[in-house]
Amino acid sequence: MDLSLILLLIGGLVVVSTAVGFLVKGLEGRVKKEDGLTRVDPRTLGEDISFGSIGTLLQFSSEFCTKCPGTRKYLAQVASEHPGVTHVDVDLTHRQDLAQQFNILQTPTTFILDDSGAIAARIGGSPRPEAVTAGLEIAMKREHDSYVI
Amino acid sequence: MSSKKPNPLAAKPGTAGIDPRGPRFGATITLITLTVELIFLLASPTALSSSNSLVQNFATPAGILLTLIVIIFAIGAFAGIGKHPYGAIFKALVRPRLSAPEELEDPKPPTFAQLIGFIITLVGLVFALLGITTGAVIAVAFAFVAAFLNSVFGYCLGCQIYVLLVRAGIVGRGGASA
Repeated sequence: MDLSLILLLIGGLVVVSTAVGFLVKGLEGRVKKEDGLTRVDPRTLGEDISFGSIGTLLQFSSEFCTKCPGTRKYLAQVASEHPGVTHVDVDLTHRQDLAQQFNILQTPTTFILDDSGAIAARIGGSPRPEAVTAGLEIAMKREHDSYVI
Repeated sequence: MSSKKPNPLAAKPGTAGIDPRGPRFGATITLITLTVELIFLLASPTALSSSNSLVQNFATPAGILLTLIVIIFAIGAFAGIGKHPYGAIFKALVRPRLSAPEELEDPKPPTFAQLIGFIITLVGLVFALLGITTGAVIAVAFAFVAAFLNSVFGYCLGCQIYVLLVRAGIVGRGGASA
């Protein structure tokens, strides 16, 4: 095969890989508002798990996940800075039922729950710095559609 | 809070965590070898032929290099990322020139990624030995994209695939994959 054609094919692969990389990076860590109609029951997540009185950062991790430990550290820090906000980390490795129930396609995925445990927002991948506080604001102001009883 | 339970993701106490920059360095070398492999495959697409014997197809530049790539992935997947040859190069030549890592990483994720790489390149090698150049090129191209994402973007494709497997119920409790 002609050398220029080979370079063109490899160059094409580089372009495709770069595009995929930017797409993945661009979507990662952004906060996405949810309808707030789905409530998470802490008892389904495991024993001894309780949610925060104001909000909860519910992180889903897995065994093979390089960004989960860093995300855990960061979310724990955010939770400690916000009284009434709790950080909960759930390992999906043994809980495929949860991955199916909540449609979790990547780890870490973080749900921001309001005081009732309703999912106010979600963040796929390792969260951007402003995403978590933005999500907490959605949860606290009840900007989502969750009905108030 | 889940603080009562030990964190299953951090490097276990007593077992050494690895420098996360090591696998990324390795992915860069893998990317280069895969590029050369693609050049071999594309430069003489007729070198591999289904009318050749397996040994004849093996004894081509593309066949030999792809075999080496598969062997190196196999070492990473089955002996563990800690015994990876490129990891040894990283430890000997690169890490002494870098500052200490901010955080150590569980060696299991990159080991799983090596397994994925092993399977993809093994499929490519089977195609190559059977003389099906197009199949080999496609498999190597997939490995190239994965290595590129890991090397350039630090994006762990293995993690995502693992979660999808968990979700599909193929991998679950205990560890078909462990």
